[in-house]
Amino acid sequence: MFSRQLATRTARAAAARSYATVSEASGVKVAGIDNGQPTTTISVVVKAGSRYETRPGVAHALKNFAFKTTKNGSGLKTVRETELYGGVLSSALTREHLFLNAEFLRGDEDYFLSLLSSVLSSTKFTAHEFAELVAPTIEGDSLAALSSPTTLAFDIAHNLAFRRGLGNSLFASPHVALTAEQVKEYGAQAYAKSNVAVVGTGISTEALEKAVAKAFGGASASSAGSSASGPATKYYGGEQRLPLDVHADGKPTMLIAFGSTDASATPALAVLKNILGGESDLKWVPGTSPLSLAAEKVPGGSAKAFVLPYSDASLFGVVVSAPTSEGVKALAQDVAAAIKGLGQVGEEAVKKAVAKAKFEVASAVENKQGLIALAGPQVLSGSVKSLEEAFGAIEKTSAESVSKAAEALFKAKPTVVAVGDLAVLPYADELGF
Amino acid sequence: MVWGPLAITFAPQLKAVAPGLFESLRPLANMLVKASGYRAMGLKYDDLLMEEREDVQKAIGRLTPEQAYDRSFRLRTAIQQSILHKPLPKDQWVKPEEDVRYMTPIVREVEAENAERAFYDTVQVERK
Repeated sequence: MFSRQLATRTARAAAARSYATVSEASGVKVAGIDNGQPTTTISVVVKAGSRYETRPGVAHALKNFAFKTTKNGSGLKTVRETELYGGVLSSALTREHLFLNAEFLRGDEDYFLSLLSSVLSSTKFTAHEFAELVAPTIEGDSLAALSSPTTLAFDIAHNLAFRRGLGNSLFASPHVALTAEQVKEYGAQAYAKSNVAVVGTGISTEALEKAVAKAFGGASASSAGSSASGPATKYYGGEQRLPLDVHADGKPTMLIAFGSTDASATPALAVLKNILGGESDLKWVPGTSPLSLAAEKVPGGSAKAFVLPYSDASLFGVVVSAPTSEGVKALAQDVAAAIKGLGQVGEEAVKKAVAKAKFEVASAVENKQGLIALAGPQVLSGSVKSLEEAFGAIEKTSAESVSKAAEALFKAKPTVVAVGDLAVLPYADELGF
Repeated sequence: MVWGPLAITFAPQLKAVAPGLFESLRPLANMLVKASGYRAMGLKYDDLLMEEREDVQKAIGRLTPEQAYDRSFRLRTAIQQSILHKPLPKDQWVKPEEDVRYMTPIVREVEAENAERAFYDTVQVERK
């Protein structure tokens, strides 16, 4: 009975799942995904994350320079007109991509696409805007990141794991001076047409294609240029310990991570993440995953597994935090034992984790942020993977392939970051790594 | 804008309407500049813009570091000469060709920004 229900459910889901096809309009890759939402979101995905930056922090500055004065009008004009349309503009930076997003009611795509196109082709990058409007927001972002132990731990973990490229910090450093001229140079490189893709939700590919051809054709000054590329990623690993300011509100945090530069291992890592777990499926109970059972023993503690996939590498690990450094120490020891236990997991646990991993992928695609974050980079690379393909890759993992992936991970040096009371927090070798 | 950050001038209008008259008045204008004596104190015209205004303050903040340094150097020189109650030696006077309007364009830019903000604050939207 249960299995039959399951079968009909998958069949229906497959029928209802219309996915995007990538096409090209005036040299820009375009894909629209229309599920009948009342609002439209258009994202310009730029291959200009911190990985490709020419100077530390310049990608962060470019993100904060979005929607400032262009040839078509000042930043104030952009904001006020967007308000009149009832739209929302935002920009986001990941390690590999820069997203310029516009959310608005259906039918206003012509205005917002011409706005996005003018941001790409004719942002003026004036020195006074940089000093008066952009630099303070960069400083704010960096300060907020520095005062959040988790954000800081992730940033440092990437730096330890990959050093350059993917290891570049997402945040501009207060120790490196930036000028508007440098941001302009990076922007000219980044906003080349071959380096940009347009992804829309709540708009069909054909409609988006037409609007993009109208907005990006001719007037757009951004020349063809070349797609950004960096050297292949290499995993290094290492350990770093940072004292946590006693007055900061953040909790002491430890991050234990392992890197993989094998893109084919990503589905197995997603399953590994769900074997460790850490997040309960129910309210008020810890659940059955090893990490949440360990976290249950420390009041206020949490241990969550994560996997961060990139185009040619991924970082897998656990982030541990507790109200006190002593709690983090106790929890980290249990977590280390759980990680070492990944070498031999039962078939049943793997099956459970596979189902969970599939649910995770599917539910990420359900909201527009998740959809754009997932589909954007794929559109940029030329083809969108269907959900079935992603499911298939995850389903193929078995107990053997998971333990093989775990073995391959643990061969390399781990990345361990400790933020908190350094007299208490354990060193990597004390955790048995 | 009558009471803007810059002095009232009809020069652009005059130049457009009667270029001949404009040119004929030029020697008179130069005499006036000489008589006002700011170049003899080592100043440029834009150093005399009224500073106690938010828009001019903003414009001063937008000068390049070199411009800002030169400006304060000129102001210090002028203050020193004022204390001494005498102009600079003649060879150190600011030459007419050096007396460029380095800050006026920036002040105009700030003025335009303020006007734009005022426009959008009071804009009436017509929906078609």
